[in-house]
Amino acid sequence: MLASYLTMAAILFCIGLYGALVKRNAVIVLLSIELMLNAVNLNLVAFSKYGVVPSINGQIFALFTITVAAAEAAVGVAVLIALFRARGTIKTDEFDELRR
Amino acid sequence: MTIDWPILSLIVFSPLLGAAVLLAMPKQRARMLRWTAIAATLLPLALSVWLYADYDPNRPGDAYEEKAEWINIPLEKSATGIEGTFELHFDYALSLDGLSLPLVLLTTVTAAMAALASTTIRKRWKSYYIWLLILECGMLGVFLARDLLLFFIFFEMTMIPMVFLIGIWGLLDRERAATRFLLYNGLGSALMLIAFVILIMTAGFSLEDAGGVFNYSYSGSYETILSNLADPQAYANMAAPGSVNPLYLSDGMRTALFVMLLIAFGIKLPVFPFHTWMLDVHREAPAPVVMIHSGILLKMGAYGLIRFGIFAFPEEADRFRAVLAVLGVISLLYGAVIAFRHKELRLVLAYSSLSHMGIVLLGLASLNEIGMQGAVFQLVSHGLISALMFLLIGSIYERTGTTNIDELGGLAKAAPFLSGALLIGGLASLGLPGLSGFVGELLALLGLFDTNKTVVSIAVIGIILTAVYVLRAVMATTFGPLKPKLEGITDARFTEALPTAVLLAFVLLLGIYPSFITELMKHSFDSLLNHLNTRVGG
Amino acid sequence: MAYSESAWLIPLFPLAAFLLLTAWGRGFRRWAPIVGAAGSLGSLVLSILVMAEGVDYRDRINWIKIDGLSLSLGYEVTHLTSLMLVIVSLVSLLVCVYSAGYMKNDERITVFYGYVSLFVFSMLGLVLSDNMLMLYLFWELVGVCSFLLVGFWYHKPEAKAAAKKAFIVTRIGDAGLLLAVLLLFWYMPNHALDFAGIQNVFHGQSGAVDDGITTLIALLVFMGAVGKSGQFPLHVWLPDAMEGPTPISALIHAATMVAAGVFLIARTFVLFEASPAAMDTVAYVGAFTALFAATIALAQHDVKRILAYSTISQLGYMMLALGVGSMTGAIFHLMTHAFFKALLFLAAGSIIHAAHKQDIRELGGLGSRMRVTSILFGIGALALSGIPPFSGFWSKDAILSAALDHNPVLFVAGLLGALLTSLYMARLYFRVFAGKPSAASEGAHESPAVMLIPMIVLAVLAVVAGFADTPWNEWLSGWLLGGEPSAHDSSSPTVMIVSAAVSLLGLYIGWLAYVKKTIRPASVTEAMPGLSKWLERGYRIDDLFASVIVKPYRMLGTGAKLFDRYVVDGVVRLTAGAASGLGRMTAALQNGQVQTYGIAAVLGLIVIIVVMAGRRFWS
Repeated sequence: MLASYLTMAAILFCIGLYGALVKRNAVIVLLSIELMLNAVNLNLVAFSKYGVVPSINGQIFALFTITVAAAEAAVGVAVLIALFRARGTIKTDEFDELRR
Repeated sequence: MTIDWPILSLIVFSPLLGAAVLLAMPKQRARMLRWTAIAATLLPLALSVWLYADYDPNRPGDAYEEKAEWINIPLEKSATGIEGTFELHFDYALSLDGLSLPLVLLTTVTAAMAALASTTIRKRWKSYYIWLLILECGMLGVFLARDLLLFFIFFEMTMIPMVFLIGIWGLLDRERAATRFLLYNGLGSALMLIAFVILIMTAGFSLEDAGGVFNYSYSGSYETILSNLADPQAYANMAAPGSVNPLYLSDGMRTALFVMLLIAFGIKLPVFPFHTWMLDVHREAPAPVVMIHSGILLKMGAYGLIRFGIFAFPEEADRFRAVLAVLGVISLLYGAVIAFRHKELRLVLAYSSLSHMGIVLLGLASLNEIGMQGAVFQLVSHGLISALMFLLIGSIYERTGTTNIDELGGLAKAAPFLSGALLIGGLASLGLPGLSGFVGELLALLGLFDTNKTVVSIAVIGIILTAVYVLRAVMATTFGPLKPKLEGITDARFTEALPTAVLLAFVLLLGIYPSFITELMKHSFDSLLNHLNTRVGG
Repeated sequence: MAYSESAWLIPLFPLAAFLLLTAWGRGFRRWAPIVGAAGSLGSLVLSILVMAEGVDYRDRINWIKIDGLSLSLGYEVTHLTSLMLVIVSLVSLLVCVYSAGYMKNDERITVFYGYVSLFVFSMLGLVLSDNMLMLYLFWELVGVCSFLLVGFWYHKPEAKAAAKKAFIVTRIGDAGLLLAVLLLFWYMPNHALDFAGIQNVFHGQSGAVDDGITTLIALLVFMGAVGKSGQFPLHVWLPDAMEGPTPISALIHAATMVAAGVFLIARTFVLFEASPAAMDTVAYVGAFTALFAATIALAQHDVKRILAYSTISQLGYMMLALGVGSMTGAIFHLMTHAFFKALLFLAAGSIIHAAHKQDIRELGGLGSRMRVTSILFGIGALALSGIPPFSGFWSKDAILSAALDHNPVLFVAGLLGALLTSLYMARLYFRVFAGKPSAASEGAHESPAVMLIPMIVLAVLAVVAGFADTPWNEWLSGWLLGGEPSAHDSSSPTVMIVSAAVSLLGLYIGWLAYVKKTIRPASVTEAMPGLSKWLERGYRIDDLFASVIVKPYRMLGTGAKLFDRYVVDGVVRLTAGAASGLGRMTAALQNGQVQTYGIAAVLGLIVIIVVMAGRRFWS
C-alpha cells in the first residue's frame, strides 16, 4: 500500500521539478513548486499512516507545510508582480539579476 | 657593555613613533611633515651607529638579544595523553649578530637618505612619509627578528607600504607595477609561509622537563629550529622504523623546504627567471622609493636565504652549491648583457641590480668564509651604490623630464656635481678598486674560486661586460656635447647634495677600509662552517 | 734605512695634491700647476733619496683579514722599484711643469691637475706595491685615471669614444690579471700574494706549484700586460687614446702607465722564467707587435698617432726583451724610452700648441719657425731611431743582442723593426720640420720657456741615459740584478754595427724620400693603393673587432632583451593570462538564471545518489 502512495508522490514531485526547472513562465514555475510541496505532503501523510511507526505527527507536519506553502505562494506572487512592474515581463530567462 | 633598555626594539619601532607623530600633524604643512619624517629616520640611524660603535665581534653569542613571550596557544592534549602543557608558542625575539648589523646600518643610512631625497614628492606628503616610516620599521624588523612568525610579519609589513608607495606616487604605469610587485612577492611569501609552517610543526617541536612533568610545545623560535635541525638526536632527524614519527623531516622533505625557501627568497633577490617584476618597480616607482627598494628590500631576499636557507640547511646548500653558482653566473651575465641594450636608465640599473645580485649568489655558493663575507659585503655595497644611483637619476629626471639616454647627454657641463657623482657611482658599480663594489666582487670570486674554477672564470667575463654597460650608460648621460634642450638645468640642491655626499662617503669608506664591515662578521659564519667541516671530516 | 722605510710617503704627496685640488675646486686656477708640480716634486726628491740609498725594505699592514687568510697592503723597495719610482716621478714632474703652459687657457685646469695628481699617486702606488692584489688595485686605478684624462675634453664625441674604448679594452686584460691573482691566491703556499713569496716559490721551480698552473698564471699575467701595454691584439685603444691632451699622452700613454705591463712582468719575472712556454709567448707577441705597429706607423698622418704606434712598437721591443730573458734590457729600454718618447710627445704638443694642426700633410717647414722645438724633436727622433750615441741605441742594442742569443728569427724581426722605426721617424721629422713653411706653419711661434725647459731636461736625459748600461759599463744591469753578475754577455760589436747601420739606412731612405725627393713616396702609395689604405687604418683591426665582437655582442644583447621581454616575462604573462582566462570561463557559468542553477543542483544530487547507491550494491 505504502509503495503506491510513494510512487504517486514521486511522480508528482518529478512533474513539479520538471516544471520548476524548465518552464519559462514564472507563474507556472510557482505552480510547479506547489506541486512539489504537495508531493511532500503526500509522503508525510502516507508515512504517518503506513510507516514503520505510525504517528499523528506526520499529518500535523502536513498541515504546517500547507500553511507555509500558502504563505510562500503569496510572497512568490507578490515578488512576481513587483518584477513584472519593474521589468514588464514574467519570463524567467529574462531575470538574470543574480549575475550582477 | 651591557645595557638594560631594549635598544633593538627601540631601533625597530622608532620609525613608527615618528609615523604616529606625523599622524597628528595637519597634512598641508609640507615642510613640517618633511622635517619630522627626516628626524624620525635619524633616530634609528643614531641608534644603529651607536650599536656599531659598541659592537664587539669577539663576544660569544649574539651581542644583543631581546625576548618576551608573545603568543601561546594551548593545544588539544587529550589525544596525546600527556601530562604537562602542550602549546603552540611564539616569542617576540629580536637579536643582533654580525650578519644583521651591516644590514641594519645599511637600512638606517639608506632610509634616512631616501627621506632627505623625498623633496621630489609633490603630493600627499603626509601619507607618503607615514608609509615610508612603516616600511623602515618593517625592514629593520626583518633583519633583527629571530622568530619565524615575527620575521614573517615584518617581511609582510614591508610589502604593503611598498604597494602604496609605488601605486600612489609612481609614474604613469604605477598601478600595474604595484600589482605585479604584490603578486610576485605574495607568491614568494606564500611559499615562505608554507615552509615556515612545516618547520614550526616539525623542527619547532621541543619538550622540557619541568620536574617530572613534561611540557611539550611547537615553537617558532629560530634557535630551537636551528638546533633541532642540526642535532641528530632531535625528533626531526629520527626516522622511526615501524611507527610514524610526524616530526620526522626526511631528506626529500628537507630538500623541498630548501628549494621552497630558495624560490621564495630568490623572487625577492631577484634571481634570473624571477626578476621581471623588479623591472616595473624600478621603472615606475618614485626615485626615493626605488632607493629603498633597490638598496634594501632586495637585500632582504639574500638575507633570508642566508639566515633561513643556508644556516638552517647547510647540507642541502652544499648539495645545491652548483645550482647557486650557475644561477649566480647566469644572473650576472644575463643582466649585464641586457643592461647594455636598454636605453632607459632606470632599466639599465634594474638589470644592473640583477647582475650584482648574481655576484651575491656566487659568494653564497662558495660556502666558505671569504665567499660568504663577500656576498654580504656585496649586499651592503650594492645597497649603497644603487641608492646613490637612483638618487642621482631621480635628480636628473626632475630636471630633464627624461631618463632616456638618447635624450640626455653632456650633463657634465651643466651639472658637474651630479655628473661627477654619477661617474663615481658608475665606477663603483663596475668594481673599481678603492670603491666598495670591488671588495664584494673580489671576495665573492675569491671564495668561490676555491671550489668552482669554471664558474668563476666565466664570471670574470662579467667584469668586462659590466664595464661596457656602465660606461655606456654613464657616458651617454654626462659626456658629449650638451643637448640644446637641456641647457639651463641646474646642479644639485642641498637636499640632493647631502645624501649624495653621505652615500659617496660610505662607498669610499668601504672601498678603502673594508674591515669596517668584515670585522663585524668575523664569527657570523662559524657555526655554519663548523657544521660543514665536521661533516666533511667525519 | 731611513729613506726606504718612509718610501710609503712617496705616493702620498701627489695624493695630497689631488685632495687639495679637488677640495679647492675651480677657484684656484693659478695655483693648480704649482700644487700639482709640488706633489710630484716631493715624490721625486724622496724617490731619488730612496734610490741613492739603494736599500731593500718592505712592510705591510692587513687590509682584509678573514678566517686567518689576510689580504694585505704593503710597500716594497727594491732596486727595480726605486728606479721606476724615479722615472715616474721625474717624468710626471716635467709634465706638470709643461702643462702649466700647455693647458694655461683651459677652464678646467684644476680638474686636469687633480686627475694628473691622482694618476701619479696610483702609478707610484702600483710601483711600490708589495703584492699582486695591491698591484691589481692600483693597476685599475691608473686605468681609470687614463680613462678620465683621455676623456678630459668630455664634450668631444671622439674623446668620449676613445676614453670608453681605452677603459674597456684594457679591462679585458685586467680580467686576465684578476684570474691570475685568484689562481695565485689558491695555489701559492699560505695563500701568499707578495712578490717576495712568489720569488721564493717559483725560483728554481721548487715544485710547489704545478707546471701547467704556472704557465697558466704567467699567461694570464701577460694578458694583463698585453692590455695595459698595448700589445697585439689589444693595442687598439692606444692610438685612439691620443684624443687626450698631449701632456697626458706623454705621461700616461708613453712613459709610465703603458710601461706598467713591462714592469709587471719584470716584477713577476720568476713566474715566466719557470715557464718556457710563457716566455716564448711573450717574446713572439712582443716581436710581432714591434714589427706590426712599426708598419702601421709608416702610413699614419697624425703626428700623435705616429708616435702612438711607435710607442706600441717600442713596448713590443720591451716584451721581446723580457721574452728572451733579458729583464735588464727591458727595463733599460723602458727607462730610455720613457725619456725620449716623453720628449717626442711634449715636442709634438709644442707643435700642436703653436700650429693648431697635427696632420703632417698640413704641417711642414716648422724648423725655421720653431728652432728649439725642432732640435729637441730631432734629438728624440735620433734616440728613438737608435742612432749612436743616443740612449735608444744602447737599450735597443741590449735587446737585439739578447734576442740573437735566443733565436735568430726574433733578432731579424727586431732588426727589421729598427729599420722601420728610423724610416717612420725620418718621415715624421722631415715632413714636419723640413722644407718651406705650410699655411698652418706660417703663424707658428716657439713655445714659452715653461714648456721648453722640461723638454730640454728630457732631451739631456735622452742623450745621456744610454750610458747607464753600455758594453763597457754595465752599471744598470748590475744594479737591477742586485750585484749578481750579468747573465748575458751584453753585446757583440757585430750586433752594434749592424743595428746602427740599419737605423742609419732607414734615416737615409727617409732623407732621400722627404728631403732630396729622389724617391717619390707617393709612387708606393699609387702602386698599391689597397695596401696603404689598409696600413693607414691599422690593418683594419678595429673593423675586425667591430664586426667580430662588438656587433655580435650588440645582437646578443638585443636578442637577450627580446628574450627577456617575450619569453621570460612572456611565461609570466601567460601564467597570469591563463589564470584570468580560467576565471572568465567559469564566470560564464554564472548566467543569473535560477533555473540553470537548479538543474545543476539536481544533476549533482542525482550523481550523489547514484554514487551512494552504487557503493551499496558494488562494494
